[in-house]
Amino acid sequence: MNELSGLSWSAAWRVALGLPEAAPQWLIATIGLICIYGLVILPSGWMVAYLDRKLSADFQARVGPNRAGPAGFFQPLADLLKLLQKETVQEWSWREGFWLGVHTMALYSTVAVLPLGSLALLVDTDMSAFLPFWATLVLALGTMLMGFSQGSAPGWFGGVRVAAQALAGAFPALVALLSAGLQAGGFRWSAFAAIQGGSPLHWTAFANPFQFLAMVVFIISGLVLLGIPPLDAGLSIPDLHGGVASSLYGRRLSLFQLGRFYGFFLWSVITVVLFLGGWILPAGLSVSLQEGGDWKWLQLLELVWLLAKTYSLMVILVWVARVNPRSRVDQITDFAWKVLSPFSLFALIGAALCAGWNVWRAGV
Amino acid sequence: MISVFSTIARYLLDVYYGARSVWSSCITAIPYLFSAGDFRKEVTEQYPDPISSRTADDLPPRTRGLLYNHIDRCTGCKECEKTCPTQCISIKADQGAEDAKLWVSKFDIDFSRCIFCGLCAEVCQPQSLVHTKQYEGAVYELTDLVASFGRGSVTNEQREKWASLRRAVESDEVFL
Repeated sequence: MNELSGLSWSAAWRVALGLPEAAPQWLIATIGLICIYGLVILPSGWMVAYLDRKLSADFQARVGPNRAGPAGFFQPLADLLKLLQKETVQEWSWREGFWLGVHTMALYSTVAVLPLGSLALLVDTDMSAFLPFWATLVLALGTMLMGFSQGSAPGWFGGVRVAAQALAGAFPALVALLSAGLQAGGFRWSAFAAIQGGSPLHWTAFANPFQFLAMVVFIISGLVLLGIPPLDAGLSIPDLHGGVASSLYGRRLSLFQLGRFYGFFLWSVITVVLFLGGWILPAGLSVSLQEGGDWKWLQLLELVWLLAKTYSLMVILVWVARVNPRSRVDQITDFAWKVLSPFSLFALIGAALCAGWNVWRAGV
Repeated sequence: MISVFSTIARYLLDVYYGARSVWSSCITAIPYLFSAGDFRKEVTEQYPDPISSRTADDLPPRTRGLLYNHIDRCTGCKECEKTCPTQCISIKADQGAEDAKLWVSKFDIDFSRCIFCGLCAEVCQPQSLVHTKQYEGAVYELTDLVASFGRGSVTNEQREKWASLRRAVESDEVFL
């Protein structure tokens, strides 16, 4: 098919980075992770943080950041620099060290499986779609420990809330993931790409109403699982003084916020890949570029297209979050168990029937 | 007894109401994106600096900025010192060369204590103590926040010298 598809992921990266043949695998993996982190995730954090602040300012009839750079574009960078130079006063506790370990593990393990284009698939196995899912659970566990490590009432209550939300959101998210896998016939990233097309009509979300329902359930249960606004009861300011993040500041706060953004970004990317056409370019551009052998252009355009869809999804979620009040934690868990779970099962049954119908029709 | 079907219908209706509530609040927010309508315009008063392309002159006429005392108009009556709720003004007025007017040797305003209430400027009879439109008073040392408007201390010799000069002027011995 193409000159790169037969090679292992490390070979594809080695060719892309222009490293010599003898380069060890760990070096390629490290450079790949740093590339993805520095070139995709951090700029995405910047972009979405900026859009979030500007949009929420608009919704509240405010001006928003406008001092750092043109229209305040460098505000996230300014915030980061300010947080980084803050002096640390508290000692590190072993729980916090554990949190840092879990956090780093979750972040790096999932960067490796992040689907960012047909050539940037570092790990493309039968379990690929599940790995980020478990990583979000690990992130939630780490956030809970983070809260417990502070030894304060907001930290304890925030940690318990984070754990309750993660447990409540995991089940519907998993069932919705199964629905998408049912349509694709597997959980490889490439399998999800293979059944979808560039036009929205060929996206899994619009294959049948059940898949659309599964997508909605998947997105909302991701918000519940990761505690993303407006479902962030574990970080509630009015009743918990910020919950698990109540006594975080400086470098720790920037690390924590980066982890939270990463969870949000990860979930949006997965939603786009599972339900919204992934990285497949519209108007058959993917096929023509593949046939032409323009690998660099192919990968670049795929990445841009995927990120454009991801940002759009994130902006929509920010929009919903900024105009709706934060939900109470018992209402969130109630909602996840009593509404999201039945609906996800309903979507799964419907999607299974649709898939069966398609198979039967193909047989006839 | 409530039937199963009415329970399910009630449940679905509740889900629908919830979704409608979220959706309608999202729709309500859209005009705010384009600053449409009087209630949706930004009302934020921006900090006057080159970025907002506003200057100190754009501030409202009765802005209570940093205080300034026109010391040649000041009578040294200490009304401002008495009325100041935070005791940030300290005045020392001595008998000057002219008998009718006090020599305000010390007129210090400690801006680290000033609350910019404007009471001092209000009671000032000769209207020498006024609020300017200056608003940037940040300094590195706390003591730098004390503004001194006094004429400085006067020795008895100086006082004598000016008194004799005044007498000379009044008796036309010196032409000005």
